[in-house]
Amino acid sequence: MAERTQLLEQIQQIGFQIDDLTLYLDTHPLDREALDSFTQAKNQRYQLMQDYAREFEPLNLYLVCPDTNNETGSYCKYPGQKHFTWSDGPLPWDNQGGV
Amino acid sequence: MWTYEKRLQFPVNIKKTCPKTASLIISQFGGPDGELAASMRYLSQRYTMPCKEVAGLLTDIGTEELGHLEIVCAMIFQLTKNMKPEDAKTAGFDAYYIDHTSALWPNAAAGVPFNACEFQSKGDAVTDLFEDLAAEQKARTTYENLIRIIDDPDVLAPLKFLREREVVHFQRFGEALEKTKLKLDEKNFYYFNPEFDKQFAKA
Repeated sequence: MAERTQLLEQIQQIGFQIDDLTLYLDTHPLDREALDSFTQAKNQRYQLMQDYAREFEPLNLYLVCPDTNNETGSYCKYPGQKHFTWSDGPLPWDNQGGV
Repeated sequence: MWTYEKRLQFPVNIKKTCPKTASLIISQFGGPDGELAASMRYLSQRYTMPCKEVAGLLTDIGTEELGHLEIVCAMIFQLTKNMKPEDAKTAGFDAYYIDHTSALWPNAAAGVPFNACEFQSKGDAVTDLFEDLAAEQKARTTYENLIRIIDDPDVLAPLKFLREREVVHFQRFGEALEKTKLKLDEKNFYYFNPEFDKQFAKA
């Protein structure tokens, strides 16, 4: 549980960096420093999303991979069965899902 | 096209049931300066924007506002999900409970239903960007009004985050207005409407 929360918090933090940099780059498309930060954050986020989907549920549809998702089998209705893993995990608005 | 990411932009973990607080926060879902109006405003205005970068910014801010709508709804949900009948009688929440139980429905704190008249898509870039700048300031004030009277730290943390985003969006819209002015007649910004009188707009 602690690891899930920790990893999700990291995704939220790096995701927010990207959200904020995106708006800045929309109005400052030539800012080299912001472009470097964007690229770095984007790569870091990609890795974290992959790690999270392997250990827990996929956070977007394109990370759904029934053979490799959710190694820990958490919040899973069909443990041990090949299934559509998009439905694994808590809902984002549930207390456990929001953190 | 949009794709959903199954997480909130900012964590919401409220432990204490409080329908009264929910009845106030709901204004930032369906009220006059709420996130539903914000997202629909920007996502409606972008099509006719004369400056491509500004249309892109409206798309990105409009998308973020949808994420904020989800945060506000998650807060209302967590504040009311364990309500008992006695809790539902709370002044300010009782009338809402009769019509919607503990479901989410967009309305203002005073009970006025969400209405598209709460935002404008005027088809004039200067008019619309001033509307957007004003909208961000009005939402900031609403968040500050909420923060002033709410004590629960679990509720305050996401409210403070959302307030900060209003300030950042205001800054970005200010930059968008400056970019738009470059397309206009610098001697008279009102000489033509760049969304309609396209023959005058600078490339």
